[in-house]
Amino acid sequence: MSFERIEYKPIPVRELLREMKNLSELMIDLAYSAALFNDRELAEDVLELEKRIDTLAYQLEMMTMVAARDAKDAEALVGVSKVAAATDKISDAAADIAAIVTQNIGVHPIVSEIFERVEERLIKAKVHENSILVGKSIGELELAPRMGVDIIAIYRKNDWIINPKAGERICVGDVLIARGTSEGLKELRELCEGKLDKLED
Amino acid sequence: MSGKGQKKFEEIVKRFVELKDTSELMIDLAYSALLLNSKELAEEVQRLEEYVDKLHTEFELLVLSSGFKKEEARGFLGLVRLGVVTEKIADAAAQIAEVVLRGVEPHPVLKLAIEEAEETITYVQVNERSPLVNKTLKDARIPEETGMWILAIKRGDKCMRPKPDTTIQVGDVLIASGYAEGEEDLKRLAAPPPS
Repeated sequence: MSFERIEYKPIPVRELLREMKNLSELMIDLAYSAALFNDRELAEDVLELEKRIDTLAYQLEMMTMVAARDAKDAEALVGVSKVAAATDKISDAAADIAAIVTQNIGVHPIVSEIFERVEERLIKAKVHENSILVGKSIGELELAPRMGVDIIAIYRKNDWIINPKAGERICVGDVLIARGTSEGLKELRELCEGKLDKLED
Repeated sequence: MSGKGQKKFEEIVKRFVELKDTSELMIDLAYSALLLNSKELAEEVQRLEEYVDKLHTEFELLVLSSGFKKEEARGFLGLVRLGVVTEKIADAAAQIAEVVLRGVEPHPVLKLAIEEAEETITYVQVNERSPLVNKTLKDARIPEETGMWILAIKRGDKCMRPKPDTTIQVGDVLIASGYAEGEEDLKRLAAPPPS
């Protein structure tokens, strides 16, 4: 295993921490999806993201060290460092989940079947040709303000698009992984399947 | 698979989903505790950690006593590992809560990072003009209206985890999680400006 040297860069602690929080939560959801839908590629993407968090954690540690001017600063900055370490731990946990898939252990197939029925915060849905989502960009759908739903990954042409940007357009046959409120996800599933033909305001 | 086998799996998966949801709730609550510098919420996280420990043991016992066949061992190992992960996540949440319980005011940068995150945490005090007053959480339909879900309610000095039949009162502080865009909707709903 090789480790690259991570150089000091003056990135605001706030930004590093925000990125770590975002990524760690995204990774958890992606990792559960990878394990429960038994998807190796998605699991590998999670492991890639883990490296990114490691780099961020390193940079954050350097920044907090440089930021402490006196004992009082140090006291408050230890807290920052602890929280960053916790997000790092969460990303490690996500990597552990992904490893269940990459190490060919897998989860019993019945589990996925029941999970899809019981779990209300994470869904996988395929976009049908008669869905009104087709051709729309994620930004214009405004799923988050409308129904508290966030698309975290799209499977298209044998590839995963992780955390798709606002400009990404939805195509027929896309498999979406989304997280959010149970009501919103139910609605999204119906939109994907073409059972619902309009977006709520 | 026989009906009996299926039922056993149902129970195991339900237990796992509870572990998963609780560990994720703990993360949200831990960030809320930081945001509000609330020892109460932080203590709630610590309590939940004990609960997760207990739940996790029950889950493992259930998995191990399910009488799986040799060829199913891998699939069950996967389940056991998933359980271990939820506990690791719960630990991480407790670690965040600990920062608050140490009694040093959290560094302002923490508050900023949480507020600016994609999945944000916000809080708003319910005023007398709000249509939410005297409604139960279930009837208030906050997730449907705003896309934010309520993590905790602060009433006076007390913080509580809401149940569907909890009635919202004037002065309650709603602590909610969701995507940043829903924040304004929640504020309008809970604290409408004077017309």
